[in-house]
Amino acid sequence: MLILKNLKASINDKKIIKGLNLEIKPGEVHAIMGPNGSGKSTLANILSGKKGYEISGDLIYQNQSLKDISIEERAQKGIFLAFQYPLEIPGVNTSNFLKTSLNSLRKAKGLKEVDTLKFLKLIKEKSSELNIDEKFLSRQLNVGFSGGEKKKNEILQMKLLEPKLSILDETDSGLDIDALKIVADGVNSYKSKENAFLIITHYQRLLDYIKPDFIHVLSDGKIIKTGCADLGQELEKSGYENLN
Amino acid sequence: MKQEYSFEINNIKDLSSKEKDFRKQSLDLFLKTGFPNKKNEDWKFTDFNSILNENFDKITNDFKFDLNKKVEILKNFEHNYILLTNGVLSSSNFDYEDKNKIEIKDFKNINSDISITSNALTLLNNALSSGGYSLNVSENYKFNKPLIIYNYFSKNLKNVILNNKNYIRLNKGSELIALEYTFDDSNENFINNTLDNVSIDNEAVFKSVFIQNSRNSGYFYRYIQSFLEQNSNYQNLILTSGLKFNKMEIEVNLNKEQSNCSILSALNISSQEHQEIKTKINHHAPNCESYQKIKNVVNANGKGVYQGKIFVKDIAQKTNAYQLSKALILDDKAEFDAKPELEIYADDVKCSHGSTSGSLDPDAIHYLMTRGINLKLAKQILINGFLNDILDNISNKNIKLFAQSILERQIDGLKKH
Repeated sequence: MLILKNLKASINDKKIIKGLNLEIKPGEVHAIMGPNGSGKSTLANILSGKKGYEISGDLIYQNQSLKDISIEERAQKGIFLAFQYPLEIPGVNTSNFLKTSLNSLRKAKGLKEVDTLKFLKLIKEKSSELNIDEKFLSRQLNVGFSGGEKKKNEILQMKLLEPKLSILDETDSGLDIDALKIVADGVNSYKSKENAFLIITHYQRLLDYIKPDFIHVLSDGKIIKTGCADLGQELEKSGYENLN
Repeated sequence: MKQEYSFEINNIKDLSSKEKDFRKQSLDLFLKTGFPNKKNEDWKFTDFNSILNENFDKITNDFKFDLNKKVEILKNFEHNYILLTNGVLSSSNFDYEDKNKIEIKDFKNINSDISITSNALTLLNNALSSGGYSLNVSENYKFNKPLIIYNYFSKNLKNVILNNKNYIRLNKGSELIALEYTFDDSNENFINNTLDNVSIDNEAVFKSVFIQNSRNSGYFYRYIQSFLEQNSNYQNLILTSGLKFNKMEIEVNLNKEQSNCSILSALNISSQEHQEIKTKINHHAPNCESYQKIKNVVNANGKGVYQGKIFVKDIAQKTNAYQLSKALILDDKAEFDAKPELEIYADDVKCSHGSTSGSLDPDAIHYLMTRGINLKLAKQILINGFLNDILDNISNKNIKLFAQSILERQIDGLKKH
């Protein structure tokens, strides 16, 4: 589904990703762990199509280079990024935003737009799965949301938009145990043979609930170690310093 | 190029000799100065004379039109209406109301009381006014339904200046929500110069919304002079995106205690458009409140201007006056000028003003685009989010919904009617 070959990225002449190789197949869950400043969020940004980076190497998604694919087209092709810091957008109603987003994706796929009634039914269903209060949908997008509410809103969007590749950028940060469980349940219930996950995190905690097939350690812009789920526990004990 | 004026008082029917004299005097005074230019402090950001020179080779008040225009009445909600054709009262309907409580008539009389002699456009209006409406609401009468003022401009107005005067009086304890809805069939440049006189008596409430529904070929200037008595309330909300040129001057006189006013605007100014809101809030009495929130989005080479003055007389203690202007500048060529002014002679007052301008947040655009929303729509969503909060001030649910739908269209880009 996703192949990164010798991926390099820099911003304002500062090299951040320095030759990264990664392959994610449908149905797989990959976790990327690593210390602060290792390039984890940059990787997420690049995959989402964020502007401002100088990129070299291969970035192949579903047999197609992503290099000339715009941000919204990537989303339309099934790439979803759950933000580390979801943006607060004043004046924009959450429910309207979700509907616009869903219909943008449907339109790109040549599907009929969902009308308001159908949408409300759908969104109620998805929000109750995530234990999200309906009132929250009539509020301004992320404005005044708690950290947990913001992250739940990201997972709600994921479940609504049904992406093929979901990138979760530190979705666990700022979550209490209950919210963490809800978010993890949300992810687990969405997992299938067709879709894949790239989970970026500092901590093993989230991986106790979402079992990854692979864990990669990112350090100074490169993957320095890849292992199975046990690697996370090892890192938790000994830290990143003692690798190599 | 200087345009040629052809202003003829004799075109105006049924004038007494006294009125004729007054009009002649006013015209002579106007001709001494002509249309205002940027040397005039009130017009420093809007050089009206140059704008007219660029777009008119001749300006005349000589024109004929048919008053029997059939207008398609809005189906969105039940309402009363007044139809103005080129500013002149052509019909009205108050079927939802007790007709004994409402007086509506053609307003032609020049009343020298309402002249503002230093204002050239008011002088011209006094000289050439060809009509308008006068609305008088009886004591304690509260309208059942909103009033829509259909402000229609016909074809064939090339080089024409239309001068109109309206008079609105809300007697003690009365209430009215009015929506002025401007649309047109014009395809050539014309000028509309309107003078509104609004009088709000004790405990009366007047809420007024200005809505523009299509791209328009008119150059609009409007002076609204309002007088508020004790415990009265006046709200003015401006949604006039789509006009090539529009300047609204709003003068509010808070003459008695506990009166309050708010002036709100949400404008999306497009290429080649120029809009100015100029306010003067006079706190003449203690314990009054004024609130102004002006929001502008300026695209391409559009220009937005806000000049807001708060005057507090020495006896107007416990005044609470608030003024905020926020602008989004979306292009290097776009311009927004703000000039807040406070003139305060009382010592126990709360007055605040602020002005900010910025551009759209690229991270917010990115966030929306990662949800499959294209760049154009993402920008529209953010612009709508920026302007939309102004509409929260509309208390009538039907008008609010209607205003929201118009605002969305204004942001998407209004079409010609």
